[in-house]
Amino acid sequence: MSADAKIVVTGIGLATPVGVGTRTAWENLLAGLCGTTPVESFDTAAYNVHRGGEIKGFEPGPYFKTLKPESVGRASQLAVAAARMALEDAGFADGVPVDPTRCGVAMGTTSGEPREVERFDDRFLAGDLGAVGDEFMTLYPCHVIAVHVAAELGFAGSNTMIPAACAAGNYAFAHAVEELRSGRADLMVAGGADSFSRITYTGFYRLGAIAPERCQPFDRNRKGMMPGEGAAVLLLERASDAAARGAKTYAEVAGYGLTCDAHHMTAAHPEGDGAARAMSAALRSSGEKPEAISYISAHGTGTPTNDKLETSAVVKVFGEAGRHVPTSSIKSMIGHTMGAASAIEGAVCALAVAEDKVPPTIHFEEKDPECDLDCVPNEAREMRVDLAMNNAYAFGGNNASVIFRKHAP
Amino acid sequence: MTDKTRRRVVVTGIGLLSPLGKSPAELHEALFAGANGLKEVSLFETDGLWIRRGGEIDFDPRDFLGQANFRPVDRTGRLAIVATHLALAASGWDEESRAGRELGLALGTTFGSVRTIAEFDRRAVEAGPKYAKPFEFANSVINAAAGQTAIWFGLRGTNSTVAGGAAAGLKALAYATDMVRSGRADVVLAGGAEELCFESFYGYHQTGLLAGAGPPHPQPCPIPFAAARNGFSLGEGAALLVLEEAEAATARGATILAEVLGHASAFDPSRGKDAESAAAAVGRTVALALADAGCEAASIDVLSTGANGSVVGDRYEAAGLARALGGRSAEVPVLAVKGQLGESLGASGAFQTVALLESMRRGEAPGIAGLDEVEKGLPLASATSESRRLDMRRGLVHASSFDGSACALVIERT
Repeated sequence: MSADAKIVVTGIGLATPVGVGTRTAWENLLAGLCGTTPVESFDTAAYNVHRGGEIKGFEPGPYFKTLKPESVGRASQLAVAAARMALEDAGFADGVPVDPTRCGVAMGTTSGEPREVERFDDRFLAGDLGAVGDEFMTLYPCHVIAVHVAAELGFAGSNTMIPAACAAGNYAFAHAVEELRSGRADLMVAGGADSFSRITYTGFYRLGAIAPERCQPFDRNRKGMMPGEGAAVLLLERASDAAARGAKTYAEVAGYGLTCDAHHMTAAHPEGDGAARAMSAALRSSGEKPEAISYISAHGTGTPTNDKLETSAVVKVFGEAGRHVPTSSIKSMIGHTMGAASAIEGAVCALAVAEDKVPPTIHFEEKDPECDLDCVPNEAREMRVDLAMNNAYAFGGNNASVIFRKHAP
Repeated sequence: MTDKTRRRVVVTGIGLLSPLGKSPAELHEALFAGANGLKEVSLFETDGLWIRRGGEIDFDPRDFLGQANFRPVDRTGRLAIVATHLALAASGWDEESRAGRELGLALGTTFGSVRTIAEFDRRAVEAGPKYAKPFEFANSVINAAAGQTAIWFGLRGTNSTVAGGAAAGLKALAYATDMVRSGRADVVLAGGAEELCFESFYGYHQTGLLAGAGPPHPQPCPIPFAAARNGFSLGEGAALLVLEEAEAATARGATILAEVLGHASAFDPSRGKDAESAAAAVGRTVALALADAGCEAASIDVLSTGANGSVVGDRYEAAGLARALGGRSAEVPVLAVKGQLGESLGASGAFQTVALLESMRRGEAPGIAGLDEVEKGLPLASATSESRRLDMRRGLVHASSFDGSACALVIERT
């Protein structure tokens, strides 16, 4: 064990609005499929926007072997599905060949299981609080997502939930890396999950942030973000362990940077201070220079402000050359999946590094001089990807950048 | 097992708001005297409920921070901000010395503010979505209190919220310890905050886990390890500890209160449904924490337990401690502060840690108030209601969530 042990990704699980299943989702993202559709999980008649990135027809059953899928909330179902896929992808379909007490879970989320509090609120308003049973407190607290993943997989090592809002997936990856480097764990499943919810939708609606038709990051006429849902889980282990068992390896997690703007709860720092510091810290901890980065997975929400500030933060760190680093936002396809977003985007970075392909920013029509980046417009690109940087920004001023490196055995 | 060259992590200041005092000294003196912080709840209506008592705190943030605008900050955020203010002041990190530095924050929580979230939602449902309040939405994220605290004090380093029920506060301290130990941070505020509110109070009321809940509604007995215990009481509060790298802390002339020697976490995959699996998870956590600290069970002088009066939870903890510590768990003083403070979830691990630290520093171990008779067969022979004076240098603090996530820290006084 050492502080500089290489950590690698050996399994990926994805549940997204463009597909549940790692290959399906990845191929649909490369194909530029749009997964944002009319909202069905609640009535949006009272809103002036009606679309979002829901996962339609999700069947959790096949991913559950231990727990009953109906005994957990939707975010937990999505998380368990992604975790199960990651395990199977890593060749552990029949269980892990590692002492379960050495296997841990680190998950991120924005809202945990918001549908449980919505159900409580509905009963409250209907004067039917007597109908509340023990499910509210057993299913609602957000840490149950990590608990359910671990209980399903039988992982008895450390169990950590980091609700760092929309940067949470990256925070979970960072924590998992440290658990492996310090030797506290031999295997970590790490990622993020959030379910589509009335609360989240209402909040972004009230901020005037939701786009009416589609999410168009970096486009001059972009009209906002699109709430979504999903989950992604990476299976992480030390490179030496992965090599010893002859595992297929997607990428190395080279380093990360976590900072706080300490400026505003919902607005980014006007000069992109925290975002730039997170990118610089991630480069430093990876021992890489900005010019070595092949691809950036942008936070790219599609709101007028985010994309502009994000562009200036990239230029701050990368200089003018930053305008030419391919920088795409898959939120154009799946919407903003909240705590799952940077986890899904981390999975995308690992896949990009493994396969030398990067997904596009779809719905791109007109260049914005204030977002003058190469946003990989509309078409995926085949290109050498040695290093991919995954950027995420969140309410509370949280910024997180994680760098994925091509694995050289 | 321990690396002697690794960076050492010390505690240089504490700030807290608890139902039994607003400083480590007040809290300790109240615990030592056997005082009880539970009272009739006034924050919300308890009409029609079997339970009406909780560890509610009467506080006004303006008493600490002057005439500032607290309107955009909810109760959880106010608790965290006041505790952080007190911790920064106690450790000597004033505004001038913080300038240009990247202080970190790791805050334990269970709910963020479930009251803020629910009120935001109910307003949208009842009056229509256009009447929902954007500033409430800003606080509806579970990391809101950590974000508000960072803004208030300009904390620009890593800002993490660690969720994990009653283990969250300890897990946040462990998270921060690793940040400092590995050199990723030099100074991190760590602990937890949780508010008492109708939503969680009623929610737990409906689980039957609260002391005195359910027909035939017996007298509440949230006394840890007691034969007659019948559940926990809810509490609230916040406690933050300033953790820093030892050499730098010494160099800046800080008062070193204690050193965090080690920590560990584990999980019970049965989520408390299987007694053997639950006790094994506690035992594993404690044994791994001792190993991380490089100490023997025999060197532990005092235990600060997470027991809160819950019928099975206290039993699992006692069994797990005995497993990892052998006979030592029956010899040393046992602190169990939640009978007197209530179960304050995200904050409680930090309260346990502060109580342990103050006890060691003063050489005074508070008894478990009201503990007349320990449950027969519990391997904690030294659990007693009597407070006593004795020399304690090294202590262990443990807590588990109701669903099986456990964390333990080993701490040594200076």
